[in-house]
Amino acid sequence: MKTLVLGMGNPILSDDGVGIKVAHEVANQFNSPQVTVAETSAAGLRLLDSIVGYDQVIIIDAIQTREGKAGQIYRMKPEDFSFAKHLSSPHQINLVTALELGKTLNLVMPQEITIFAVEAKDVSNFSERCTPEVERAIPEAVKMVLEELKCQTSS
Amino acid sequence: MKKIMIDPITRLEGHGKIAIFLNDDGGVANVYFQVPELRGFEKFSEGRPAEDMPQITQRICGVCPEAHHMASTKALDALFHVEPTSTAKKLRELLYSAFYVTDHTTHFYILAAPDFVMGPDAPPAERNILGVIAKVGLELGGAVIRTRHENHWVIQTIGGRPIHPCFGLPGGVSKAINEEERAKIEEIAKSSVEFGKLSLKVFDDVVLKNKEYLDMVLSDTFTHRTYYMGLVDENNKVNFYDGKVRVVDPDGKEFVKYAPRDYVEHVAEHVEPWTYLKFPYLKKVGWKGFVDGKDSGVYRCTPQSRLNAADGMATPLAQEEYEKMYSTLGGKPAHYTLATHWARLIELLYAAERMVELVRDPEITSPDIRTIPTATPDEGIGIVEAPRGTLTHHYITDERGIIKKCNLIVGTTNNHAAISMSIKKAAVDLIKPGKEITEGLLNRIEMAWRPYDLCLACATHSLPGQAPLEVTIYDAQGNELKKLSQGIS
Repeated sequence: MKTLVLGMGNPILSDDGVGIKVAHEVANQFNSPQVTVAETSAAGLRLLDSIVGYDQVIIIDAIQTREGKAGQIYRMKPEDFSFAKHLSSPHQINLVTALELGKTLNLVMPQEITIFAVEAKDVSNFSERCTPEVERAIPEAVKMVLEELKCQTSS
Repeated sequence: MKKIMIDPITRLEGHGKIAIFLNDDGGVANVYFQVPELRGFEKFSEGRPAEDMPQITQRICGVCPEAHHMASTKALDALFHVEPTSTAKKLRELLYSAFYVTDHTTHFYILAAPDFVMGPDAPPAERNILGVIAKVGLELGGAVIRTRHENHWVIQTIGGRPIHPCFGLPGGVSKAINEEERAKIEEIAKSSVEFGKLSLKVFDDVVLKNKEYLDMVLSDTFTHRTYYMGLVDENNKVNFYDGKVRVVDPDGKEFVKYAPRDYVEHVAEHVEPWTYLKFPYLKKVGWKGFVDGKDSGVYRCTPQSRLNAADGMATPLAQEEYEKMYSTLGGKPAHYTLATHWARLIELLYAAERMVELVRDPEITSPDIRTIPTATPDEGIGIVEAPRGTLTHHYITDERGIIKKCNLIVGTTNNHAAISMSIKKAAVDLIKPGKEITEGLLNRIEMAWRPYDLCLACATHSLPGQAPLEVTIYDAQGNELKKLSQGIS
């Protein structure tokens, strides 16, 4: 069982980089030949390139929701974004379309994808640091990813 | 686990916004196009060693990190007054050409093709890459993925890392390639040439053989007569990595050709109160507002612009296609914004052919990859052609090479005025008194700016992974009439 933990975001854009920070911490705390921890700032097709060939993928990214509280963590599945697949994208394809594309082209796609999204506050100002609210959420997000990994690798 | 209703809006305040204001008659009075702007990069870079800039600047944008890495590396050559070795220049250009193949492939098949293969009025649920594959065939879909995958391998092999290369140093690059790698890159380059030819055939079959589409390409709705900018080599042929910046006027006559270090004499930036993003224009012509023509300093730098600004392509197959395009479009320069999709595919073919040339160069595996800088750093400017426009990096440092000032003019910004004009023109032609405003309108407006391959940098990766766009239409009294949006719930 090959698992990928993928931190997504921009590490120099305040809370946008929270996914990458969580992934780094996961890499420090979890060591298994079956698990690869990586980071990316890419979307769409590049995301597809990153996940092809893995059995399971855990993605960690920033999110902004309408009523969200900074630092809140959500555990989601790609289906939670299924409403978005009916919308065309001005620059790239979204996650759901990327996954469907992979399946259509008979690529080796992960059977299971779990997304941990951390509610971001500032995603417009360049900084290597997250805002305090989001910074405080990192240990909890790491814990959730580690629990997910333990569940998945023991199953 | 408790089920949480997710309502992702990605960038609450930062998404792309188009505001259309109608006049008393219900026709279009004004159009404003706002893109999100990231703040504080200049301050962020101050006080950092200049050598870090190729690593830092490529993080600005999730779409073209390779372009920032390359412009930044060239700015460092200038800053440290050092000439890279011949092999280093060739390795940089080889990586950059592979990047062009991937980037242009993505744009055409993901963004441009759905409009033409599925039709501009097809439901959004079908107007995407999946629809294209269903119609054109799995084989082509496989070729798209394979070409991108293989060229990313090239970028990783030369650049040292996937997505964010780490090989650019002042005076050269950090690593050479061996014969085994060279041979594999040659195979990939050759197959990319075939893919480029195939893509032009797809364009020919789908767009050029369809009279309705060709008429749309040539229609006034999608036409602007502007100045055109692009990098050219010593023979005035298109070059993405190096050369001088050449600008031609709307009649195609050379207006100016300048070395990157002189850019401040030629390009100035206009500011509008309704957006943070600036509007670059040709200083010597002047800012005359959002208008085209010879008296307006608005210029464009897109694939079409680069071909307009040059005398031709430096490789044989791309040159043939270049000639075919201008003969079909009725001569040079071509002012048809939608023809940019065609020009982009000609650039894709050129990039692949250039890869073949470079990888067969006897110097390419030489270990002579770096000139060690010895001069004191002061100021450096580096320019490359990013896929979406001329990209300028300008650094000023102290004598230790610590950044005191940094200015970037990124690809999309160059085209900001022209994009605004193109959207307005499409809106004026499509929104008529008494005519219902529909979802189809949103796509037609999108079609006016899609050829610019504009980069809403910050909005590209964050969940749900698509750049949000909102079009709001107001009546003459400023009341909201209709709102159309995508990626925003």
